[in-house]
Amino acid sequence: MTIERLLPGSALQSYPPADLWDDWREYDVKAWPRRVERHYMLVPTVCFNCEAACGLLAFVDRETKRVRKFEGNPLHPASRGRNCAKGPATINQIHDPERILYPLKRAGARGAGRWQRVGWDQVLDEIGARIRKAFQEGRRHEVMYHVGRPGHERAMDRVLKAWGIDGHNSHTNVCSSSARLGYALWSGYDRPSPDHARARFILLLSSHLESGHYFNPHAQRIIDGKLAGAKLAVMDPRLSNTASMADFWLPTYPGSEAAVLLAMARVLLDEGLADLDYVERWTNWREYMSHRRAGEAPTFAAFVAALKEEYRAFTPELAEAESGVDRHRIVQVARLIGAARGAFASHVWRGSASGNLGGWQVARALQLLTVLTASVGTPGGTSPSAWNKYKPFFWEEPPAHGEWNDLLFPKEWPLSHYEMSFLLPHFLKEGRGTLDTYFTRVYNPVWTNPDGMMWIDVLKDEARVGLHAALTPTWSETAIFADYVLPMGHAGERHDIQSQETQSGKWVSFRQPVVRAARERMGETFRYTYEANPGEVWEEDEFWIELSWRIDPDGALGIRRWFESPYRAGEKLEVAEYYRWIFENAVPGLPAAAAREGLAPLDYMRRYGAFLIESDIRERHAQPVEVPAEAARDPETGRVDVGGKPVGLEIDGEVVAGFPTPSRRLEIYSRTLEEWGWPEEALPGYIRSHVHRDALDAARGEMLLLPTFRLPTLVHTRSGNAKYLTEISHRNPVWVHTRDARRLGIATGDLLRITTEIGHFVNHAWVTESIAPGIVACSHHLGRWRLREGEGSRWSTSAVRLAEHESGWLLRQLEGPGPFRSDDPDSSRIFWTDGGVHQNLAFAVHPDPVSGMHCWHQKVVVARALAGDRYGDVYVDTKRSMAVYREWLARARPGPGPEGLRRPLWLDRPLRPTDATFVAPPRPER
Amino acid sequence: MACKTEHEVPVGVARTWVKYVEKGTFPDTRRTFQVTRCNHCQDAPCVEICPTTALYRRRDGIVDFDGKRCIGCKACMQGCPYDALYIDPATETAAKCNFCAHKVEVGLEPPCVTVCPTQAIVAGDLDDASSRIAEMTGRIPLQVRKPEKGTRPKVFYVEADAAALVPSAAPPSSDYMWAQAPQALALPGLPAPDAAGAPRRTYAVREQHRNSWGWKVSAYLWTKSLAAGAFLVPAVLVARVPWREPVPNAALLLALLALATTGALLVADLRQPARFLWTLTRPQWRSWLTRGSYVIAAYGLALTALIGLGLARRPPPPVLTGLTALLAAGTATYTAMLFGQAKGRDLWQSALLGPHLLVQALTAGAALFAPSWLLFLLPVNGLFVAGEVWGRHATEDARLAARLIQDDVRFTTGVLVLGHLLPLSILWGPSGLRLLAAPLTLFGLFIWEHLYVQAPQRIPLA
Repeated sequence: MTIERLLPGSALQSYPPADLWDDWREYDVKAWPRRVERHYMLVPTVCFNCEAACGLLAFVDRETKRVRKFEGNPLHPASRGRNCAKGPATINQIHDPERILYPLKRAGARGAGRWQRVGWDQVLDEIGARIRKAFQEGRRHEVMYHVGRPGHERAMDRVLKAWGIDGHNSHTNVCSSSARLGYALWSGYDRPSPDHARARFILLLSSHLESGHYFNPHAQRIIDGKLAGAKLAVMDPRLSNTASMADFWLPTYPGSEAAVLLAMARVLLDEGLADLDYVERWTNWREYMSHRRAGEAPTFAAFVAALKEEYRAFTPELAEAESGVDRHRIVQVARLIGAARGAFASHVWRGSASGNLGGWQVARALQLLTVLTASVGTPGGTSPSAWNKYKPFFWEEPPAHGEWNDLLFPKEWPLSHYEMSFLLPHFLKEGRGTLDTYFTRVYNPVWTNPDGMMWIDVLKDEARVGLHAALTPTWSETAIFADYVLPMGHAGERHDIQSQETQSGKWVSFRQPVVRAARERMGETFRYTYEANPGEVWEEDEFWIELSWRIDPDGALGIRRWFESPYRAGEKLEVAEYYRWIFENAVPGLPAAAAREGLAPLDYMRRYGAFLIESDIRERHAQPVEVPAEAARDPETGRVDVGGKPVGLEIDGEVVAGFPTPSRRLEIYSRTLEEWGWPEEALPGYIRSHVHRDALDAARGEMLLLPTFRLPTLVHTRSGNAKYLTEISHRNPVWVHTRDARRLGIATGDLLRITTEIGHFVNHAWVTESIAPGIVACSHHLGRWRLREGEGSRWSTSAVRLAEHESGWLLRQLEGPGPFRSDDPDSSRIFWTDGGVHQNLAFAVHPDPVSGMHCWHQKVVVARALAGDRYGDVYVDTKRSMAVYREWLARARPGPGPEGLRRPLWLDRPLRPTDATFVAPPRPER
Repeated sequence: MACKTEHEVPVGVARTWVKYVEKGTFPDTRRTFQVTRCNHCQDAPCVEICPTTALYRRRDGIVDFDGKRCIGCKACMQGCPYDALYIDPATETAAKCNFCAHKVEVGLEPPCVTVCPTQAIVAGDLDDASSRIAEMTGRIPLQVRKPEKGTRPKVFYVEADAAALVPSAAPPSSDYMWAQAPQALALPGLPAPDAAGAPRRTYAVREQHRNSWGWKVSAYLWTKSLAAGAFLVPAVLVARVPWREPVPNAALLLALLALATTGALLVADLRQPARFLWTLTRPQWRSWLTRGSYVIAAYGLALTALIGLGLARRPPPPVLTGLTALLAAGTATYTAMLFGQAKGRDLWQSALLGPHLLVQALTAGAALFAPSWLLFLLPVNGLFVAGEVWGRHATEDARLAARLIQDDVRFTTGVLVLGHLLPLSILWGPSGLRLLAAPLTLFGLFIWEHLYVQAPQRIPLA
């Protein structure tokens, strides 16, 4: 049997053409070179490993109905058919012999490891009744949904709004909220969207050629840009793969980045490389003059002089002293950035922003370069995220709720960019509240967050957490401490809409359960996705619809109506209808494109998986907007308001969109910071990090630990059960520079004890020239563990014992990963014995007083391990945990702010309540 | 990863992987990346050495394989200078990158090409002038791995770094920056991985060729020497008139027994022992494994015929004895040709190997039947050993392998002292101890075979 060639001669094409996807014929590799034909239905979906939302194409065997493999979806506008290692590895996750196939309910004490299999009906009834009771008793704030891996564009917001609760908690404050705040203070948009492909100069404070947000789509475009002549500079104290591919590696001492960026800004200003016309036109310099230079003439020339004065201190010499990077190189890069005017692309997401106290100023300082080079939203520049990201809307939108949950947005951090999520256990311990029902969704705080022992403590305490349901595709260190472990699907086992700001353009993609989709196309019908998934693995969409109906079976609570079909009045919403409505009504251009193919919009998305809504999006802020003649105009900023709401910006007599900031301009000066207690930080500035060199006691042997770097092949806590990923990445030794190693008398492989504020961990040394001297680094991607057999993937976890020790807890490895028997013969071929070390457990919480972000970098003492120390040991003194928490709490400057607000009205927040809710209740009389 | 999932490559082995090498001192450190795989050589040593046509070069240039024809002899793993082959633990047959021939044949690129975010891999038909790959090869300076091997690789590298391209420039380790790669044996004599600034391999997979031929192959060489020597020494050296005197039945039987053991060892070393006859029934005639099998089989038949004649008390025709002697010599020496086809083992590419094997056979035979000859043969064998170990080597890898032998205590004690010096002194000494010379000699020969087989397998190839 032979399959005819796609193209004549020897020409090759990259992907199976879409018109053949329905019955794609391919030779069986196992039988090869005998030509045995297999028939597949190629069903698109979206990767669920990192957040880039790259397209995948599932090869569903038409005969066995099993997924054979995942390749890339060539029709996906961002990933363009290409993937990183984590995309194809999805097949491992689906076929993992140890995955959780059925809902589990604990049978003994919480955390004691006894489980019984239950049915979905029982789960829904029991949890539904509990939530219903809480709602009926007015305890809406005691129900919380805590998301680790998001996705699900707006769907979850809709559910929680329908429930009327302020119960959305996220992982963002251990992830990106400092960078977000920095960007938001400038433009009201909290994420950057660089147009690398058309840039002339690219500056990354990240490692986007190998990891990080949107690694695969960004890496493609960074290389496209480089091939077109762009130069690349990377600031990173560690030689990442990205830094290694850069034209300039700037190994900045962690926390010094803002000083270097401001020194670059100074070069632009002093050497006439800044686009001052642009600055005059788009920034709120007038506000700066009237608030900070009230005695001076409010001219732009005076502003420029003032700005130069503000940054006078940031000489290349200072930048070198702070960062350790050669000043000539800093000046050289600054000049190249200046020369790239209009096409300077840059990115900071985690890295220095998430590592350091005041990391949000790093993002502000970086954005200052974007503004000075007039590269905001230009081709080759850096756009606000929202321009390039699609968000759906619904047939009916539940109204904003009127709750304010102080466990999420407490008064101490009025500007915290996201929920103070990682302090939840500390808040509960302080008695700030209790939780009745707590959902973790693909979220593993015990392992991922700092101070995991505190999480264990609180999760075990039924008085503080009444019920914990873990929605997760795999076992996690957090699921161990759940009442229900609810298996939810991987990439090809669930519905979602995904869109990310990966490029200049806007797209939407569709994640779908591929076996269900294929079998439905072959004529079968299913009521629920778990009927087509392995075991009874479900998906959240259907789960929330069902749960909402159980919470409000008769509609009396006003919840059920939001989960009724838009097509069949009063009937329960089906997941297909939900997406059908969005694709028919809420994606511009999709219905027409589908009609051209003779398809309904939903069928179009099911078949092709992605749709490009718009490309080459630029300078949206300069687009004219129509406003009524009577609209109010602010004389200082030029802001145009209608009915008290800002709608645009008047420039040269024309009203344009501007930015969603109070001044409607790019805010080089933040009145918000001035008025909310941080006047000294009102301009992009440099905050000395909590791990600044001066804060380290060299005599004690203190060093800086950089505990946050991703490996190209893993993603936090979700990829451990992918055997091929674990095969190539399973240990995380501590990087030590050769010079430090000599001083400490250590060599690669020696055991080190790394002592933190609250405990210590023991790991091997990796002596290298790829890290700046004076700092040590350890990837946060490894060190997974299991307390008992059956509660953790044996591909990646080490078996551990957790026991009281001295004045705290000691986690000790009993044995590393090793071969085991299973349905997959590969499990008997495991050759690695090292699963890495779980360092985050030994970290205290460091909430940034402004952004609320956990400042990840650690002050540590590095020394040879002591007698009795064993590889993988983690010791934590939880009493010290609370003490360090209080030290950082004392740094915060609590609200309320002007007009008695809990938070500036213009700063958005997840699951935004009504404006009235922003007003803090009056303080009780003493 | 795309490759692993496309072919469901078992855990522990790899068809293609990315090697990381770092060099330079902070802040001028750089890491280079090299995708490593089968080179689809125009003159593929794996194809030449494969005894059963399980490996073959397709008309389109792809070097493909058929696991169902593979007997698991691992010769291809010795032939390949690039460590591209492995034994698939699921099928116990050899496997490697086959350029996804099953996809290319229908007009699709291999998945490693399509998956790559930055399109760093370009695949196509070099013979099609209109293809991108042909255009690139004409325009851009390219490098290949180990051009000196004369294999004419079809995988080219752009701006490759010699530190990554040359395997021993940054030798393998058992621990890398985020993975373990347990190696069977450590490799002394290469730069320490911690030496600041020196090229250092920071990620790699396990070396797949390591010890693909173990003690059974060493033992096979030894029993083969015995089998050949047990006939040659009585027939040629001891006979007053070579060829014309019947070889004693005891010698014939011993030769046949040693030969049978040789065959048994060969079969036992196969990953697919049940397929051992395929070397004869599905021959690939260029392979010296095939040719050697025929030589061994023929020698076995000749010995059997001689024994039969002996039992029948009929004098063997001199032609038969002569022919048997030739087959015995062939049995002893064909391995030089086989090892010569093992392009991945530089030490074996030695002009001394053929004569040395013959000397070893004679030495083994003399130990059994004519100990006095050892006074002559042991020094000669010693000279050959010295030549292999201390002589000039054509390549750095051969020198490195020789150095491994030199540094090995088993060489100094086992081969030199116990295997040569001691038996020689015994033979000069009082006659009561002379009986000991033979076993010591045979012991020394075995240790030598083992070191000689093992050492070059420890040299990094990728």
